[in-house]
Amino acid sequence: MNLKFLVVDDSVTMRRIVINSLANLNYLDYVEATDGKDALAKLESDPEINFVITDWNMPEMSGLELVKAIRADERFSELPVLMVTTRGLKNDIIEALKARVNNYILKPFTPQVLREKIEQILSTTITEK
Amino acid sequence: MNSEAVMTRLFEKLNDLKSIFLYSEKLIPVIQSLIDFMRDTIPLLENINHSITDSAAKIPKVSHQINNVTNATELATNEILDLVDKMLNETQHSESMLERLLEFEQEKAELIREVAMESNSPRAAELLQKYDEKYDNRARLEVILGVVKNIKEYANNITISLQVQDITSQQLAAVNHLIDSVQKKLGSLIHDIEKNKLKSADDLHIPFEESMTFDPNARYQNGLSSQQMVDDVVSKKINPATQEEIDKLFHKE
Repeated sequence: MNLKFLVVDDSVTMRRIVINSLANLNYLDYVEATDGKDALAKLESDPEINFVITDWNMPEMSGLELVKAIRADERFSELPVLMVTTRGLKNDIIEALKARVNNYILKPFTPQVLREKIEQILSTTITEK
Repeated sequence: MNSEAVMTRLFEKLNDLKSIFLYSEKLIPVIQSLIDFMRDTIPLLENINHSITDSAAKIPKVSHQINNVTNATELATNEILDLVDKMLNETQHSESMLERLLEFEQEKAELIREVAMESNSPRAAELLQKYDEKYDNRARLEVILGVVKNIKEYANNITISLQVQDITSQQLAAVNHLIDSVQKKLGSLIHDIEKNKLKSADDLHIPFEESMTFDPNARYQNGLSSQQMVDDVVSKKINPATQEEIDKLFHKE
């Protein structure tokens, strides 16, 4: 399966780190967005995007709002979404899960953890299909 | 009422008046000291007011400096990332070349063996074996390849550690938010004391970006224990989570 990632984070540093980590895992196809609003625009304009990696705390539209917007739109409702954030409180994780993120990674993360979660999500979504 | 009763009543009132005078006599020094105290307090209050105004005026500078620190660290982090990227590209290139050289060495060794087998001269076969033993670079190349792979891993680890920049910038944004609250509180205090608006309210404006979002609990923590906690919560809830299950989790806390 060819994966095209949408990497959403307001921090340039974090976007680069996520993209570098993806490259390490041989995932070279990606699009960047600086916040939830930008991410939705990218999703609209690029139908090839089939995996979203998003931060939580962002201006304009947060990652959580983005997940809710994605799930509310039937075109993207099954799109795999991985949340990568500093928010480690249990209530935050539950809130994200209620919004239907597919998995959750705490910063700082390693490429191994990223690989593990991407594979978990892919295996789950493929099984569900 | 007869005159005796009137007189008695008058004397009673006079006694009351006397008591009041006596009490007032005692009270006057107290009031005097209170007035003195208030007189002394006014410059003190003015001093406090001045200090608050002074502190409030310094806050924007502090806030501005925090923003500068965030911008500078972001810039520096990206410069480091540029260098790490270059390093990774070059190590990737070296790794490929070394792997290719290893293949050549393997091919060379096989060729030498073939030539030795084809040769009818035992001396020639012996020399070829010696040559093969002496100039077989596979072991050396494997060591170098290991070193290159280690360098690549270290470079990747640097990249991972640089996530600290995002985390510290969120912490600094949280501090800035706190400073902003203090500034507003001080502003209202000065307003209360002076009963008029801050003269230099514009000057005291903090360059705090309202749009700035942050996690006040953001922290840089190496190791996998936090991720393990996340995984535990996610693994319990990742499969169609019911509201009941979620509620149970909330009640556990």
